[in-house]
Amino acid sequence: MMRLDHLPNQRPDEHVVLFLRRQWFALLAIVFAFILLTAVPLLIGWYFWPTLEGLLAQNVFGPLLVILGSIYFLSIWLFAFLEFTDFYLDTWIITNERIINIEQEGLFNRTASELDLAAVQDTTAEIRGILQTVFTYGQVYVQTAGEKGRFHFKNIDNPERVKEIVTKLVEEDKRRVSALGAGGKGKVKSVIK
Amino acid sequence: MFDLPNISVPVGAFLIVYGAYMMFYVLYSLFNVYHLLRYGVYGFGLYLLVTIFTGGTIILVAGSTFLLMGYDWAHPISLDNTVEYYNEDLFPAL
Repeated sequence: MMRLDHLPNQRPDEHVVLFLRRQWFALLAIVFAFILLTAVPLLIGWYFWPTLEGLLAQNVFGPLLVILGSIYFLSIWLFAFLEFTDFYLDTWIITNERIINIEQEGLFNRTASELDLAAVQDTTAEIRGILQTVFTYGQVYVQTAGEKGRFHFKNIDNPERVKEIVTKLVEEDKRRVSALGAGGKGKVKSVIK
Repeated sequence: MFDLPNISVPVGAFLIVYGAYMMFYVLYSLFNVYHLLRYGVYGFGLYLLVTIFTGGTIILVAGSTFLLMGYDWAHPISLDNTVEYYNEDLFPAL
């Protein structure tokens, strides 16, 4: 279990500034699919109840229908939970020294990467379309100087505010790193404060 | 036309399929819960999530068990009965 007050490879004086997940709007697709897949067979069963009741009373079709129904609803429940886990474990942690990107792809693929703030060259916030504008969510791209490419914060809440915070943290970190090069550690601390 | 031996299988055979599915379900769920507890961020929400999932599973399995308990699992599914549905018009050449 990960603790925000005890990050992996946590550095001295490092603290979490932002902890991000995709916005709640991303969950709506899962909730909508879950409700639809649950409600449709229930409504069909309710509409054809006299026929269904007769089938359920039979010695062979009855247990077969109950077993198939049970498998169906358990599968939907499991599917919804798997999708939610995928959403829940996709996180971005921004500290005063680095960005940690943790992405869960399905149940068996997981990518965790980190980036020093001093290596960040450019940050872009992007809000596209009516839904993203109304619900103020969108993308933030963090571009590095090296070949590592860029970090993509997907469908996060308030991307422009996040971009501002990241930009500010990058500036502070660059000042801190350059001060570290110029002087000693004690001097760096005073710069941060 | 031709006689099939009188083979019958108890309805309980369906439970083998159900049992196999439940094994898959339990394995997958445990793996998923392990993932959440291993990589999730420590907090009340994490435990709430696992509790909701487990609770939902218990309700679904308990409901299914309650419905399934009323059936006679020894009731035979006879192969002879399936031939009753055979329609000679479908395959007149036979």
